[in-house]
Amino acid sequence: MTNLRVQSIDDKHIRISGIASVLAVMLREMPEILEMRDAPDARERLFPKPTRANDKINKEWQQMIGPELRHLFVSAGETLTRDLTALTADQEDAEAYQVEFPIEHVRAWMSALNQARLILGEIHQIEETDMNRADLNPQDPRHLAALRIHLLGYVLQSFVELEIGDEPKDSI
Amino acid sequence: MALPNETEQPGVIQIDETKTKEELDLPWNVIVHNDPINLMSYVTMVFMRVFGYPRTKAEKHMLEVHNKGRSLVWSGGREQAEHYVHQLHTYQLLATMEKSKE
Repeated sequence: MTNLRVQSIDDKHIRISGIASVLAVMLREMPEILEMRDAPDARERLFPKPTRANDKINKEWQQMIGPELRHLFVSAGETLTRDLTALTADQEDAEAYQVEFPIEHVRAWMSALNQARLILGEIHQIEETDMNRADLNPQDPRHLAALRIHLLGYVLQSFVELEIGDEPKDSI
Repeated sequence: MALPNETEQPGVIQIDETKTKEELDLPWNVIVHNDPINLMSYVTMVFMRVFGYPRTKAEKHMLEVHNKGRSLVWSGGREQAEHYVHQLHTYQLLATMEKSKE
């Protein structure tokens, strides 16, 4: 995982290389995770109310903004899914994978990665303590979900670093 | 609307100050709430992009979200507050708006 690199290969394309096989599997599972965006908890998280107590504004918001947000999120997932069909063996590391895609897809990738993390978090009711555990057991579904959230976060973090420079990897 | 008032100065009338609709709406607070999943760096990046905040200010608000559970990231007119909440939702941050109690 330490060899993961997100870099511009020219002014129009991005390459993610050094993708470990376990991460490649998780990336390929992303379309399936994103399909769960309409599970009740996930839907509430991805399409939150704009106010805590104003029912009128909340209702209008869901009618006006909800469909637009949904379109944006679905479109981002479709872009990532299409780009992932180009996932191939890494040219420099036979045990790893790489993928190249247009630079204008970066925002879609970030959106889709974060959607998948949030969906996993809601479906498995992941709390701060789960995210901070050092003894994650892959046999435990909650732990496995936290592990997947961390791994997808590793890719997301690489995009953030590309955008704004190095930052410590952590959750808020 | 208030009628003009005569003043002690001959020929001079005083017009009471009236408030525009937007002033009456002020201020609405945009609040970002903590969640266990979003990366600290991602939240910083979103604040920089959405509000145009310099990195230090974006990090200050991100840390406030992290440490206190929420941060008031912007205050102002309702229309602009809605715009910002919308933008924050497109980045999947938990954001709400509320009318200031002050």
